[in-house]
Amino acid sequence: MISSGLKLKVVAVNDIAPSLRQLSLASVDGSALPPNGAGSHVLFNLPGQGRVHRNAYSLINPPGSRSQYDIIVRRVPTSRGGSAAVHERLQLGDVIEAQLPANLFPPQRRARQHLMIAGGIGITPFLSYLQDAGVKASGYALHLCCRESEREVFAPWLPAGDPQVFFHWDAEGHRLDIPALLARQPAGTHLYVCGPAELNQAVLDAAQAQGWPASQVHSELFGAASSGGAPFEAVLKKSGQSVRVGEDESLLEAIERLGVAAPCLCRGGACGVCVTPLLEGEAEHRDHYLSASDKAQGRLIMPCVSRARGARLVLDL
Amino acid sequence: MKLPPSEVTSRPVYLPLAPELAAGRHWLVLDAPSMDEVLLAELASAFAPVAERLQVWSIGSLQPAMGLGPVTRLADLKAAASALAGQWPLRVSDRLCVQGSEPFVWSVFLAARELGLAESQIQLAHAGSQRRRVWCTHCHGFTEGVSSSTVACAGCGRELLVRDHFSRRHGAFMGVMVDAEVPGQRPVREELFP
Repeated sequence: MISSGLKLKVVAVNDIAPSLRQLSLASVDGSALPPNGAGSHVLFNLPGQGRVHRNAYSLINPPGSRSQYDIIVRRVPTSRGGSAAVHERLQLGDVIEAQLPANLFPPQRRARQHLMIAGGIGITPFLSYLQDAGVKASGYALHLCCRESEREVFAPWLPAGDPQVFFHWDAEGHRLDIPALLARQPAGTHLYVCGPAELNQAVLDAAQAQGWPASQVHSELFGAASSGGAPFEAVLKKSGQSVRVGEDESLLEAIERLGVAAPCLCRGGACGVCVTPLLEGEAEHRDHYLSASDKAQGRLIMPCVSRARGARLVLDL
Repeated sequence: MKLPPSEVTSRPVYLPLAPELAAGRHWLVLDAPSMDEVLLAELASAFAPVAERLQVWSIGSLQPAMGLGPVTRLADLKAAASALAGQWPLRVSDRLCVQGSEPFVWSVFLAARELGLAESQIQLAHAGSQRRRVWCTHCHGFTEGVSSSTVACAGCGRELLVRDHFSRRHGAFMGVMVDAEVPGQRPVREELFP
């Protein structure tokens, strides 16, 4: 399932804000797409300059959509190419490859109440949550931290005038007081946060400090966890090849450049599918999958985000 | 009074209760007849770090509970459920810890779930009898204190085979009619948990 792919055609392009582009994609032959669940994402192959970028984006469709996949992509100034490819090169009618939807961030069906906190474009998984019958039935609140000017941008995907959707921005009286919000939640609430690393960490820290059970707290990092860094050499022992990992590409991308098919799913250090045995060298771990003890043992690495501390890594690939 | 582990493999595994230091209010609910001095002393020492935000409730009368602080005595499980409801509003930081016989701890668990506590906010520990509560799959009635491998259902009178299948939803083991296939053909009733 991980390697099987889809061929998708761009059927709509809307610039909804200066740095936000919404795309709709349908299957090339018009057949029904595999259905998505709330919170699911799709990994797309995006045409870059001289290379292909593989980026994962959350689907904002209602759960179970078969006719098209909708995504919203923010152009990141420091983009390594994926979001720039969407904003500059991708045209109506273009065909791109993608993988089947996967879901690492589903709503928890036993929750009494869903509390969502989003930072900017991190709202995308929650746009599908708000269209999920189970989430609607059990009760929810969505807190979006965004630029004041972007408050209306997501309106087309939000229930009109929903009193459970709250906007916060960086001005006196409008900032989100995370500890106060968490402290007033009733028992049985599940907490979800999707945004930049600083927001996620602030929410996770506040939840932990207030005694939230870990199983009721869920996070998804928006945007690629940074996968660039100092260049190094990666040796693939089994296949007897070696590759230089550039500063703006990930170890996984370098391995793929060699033509070695490495399994992967989220490309963000969350899912664990790309875990690879590390034979020599010290890793700089950047994933959220390996335990602290795994990382200390230093025998495994997640090549989608993690890199070398030194000049060289030897992988059992 | 530590009991040997049950040989019923589907039986939940119960670990000793422990407070969570980052959490807020703690309630310790005890099944008095199942507790002994050693268990109470262990609990007193385990829960000392959260003493100022701990309430101890006992159903039935506890022997003087050394070190556990003031204990509120409640008449029955219903009173315990009302007492918990009286703590409204229940928050995510609340923790409920329950120790006693298996039917006791699961009764409290189900009442607390009904009031909105999540499973991750509840800890259960076993003490006392290993006799089982049985849920009849035919009449949906409960039979309490079952020590044997088969039992007459307290609800419908059918002779039930007590399956080694614990239901967390009912807080009980499943009982199915033992001679449904060949009426009258019944295995010998064995005493498992005297």
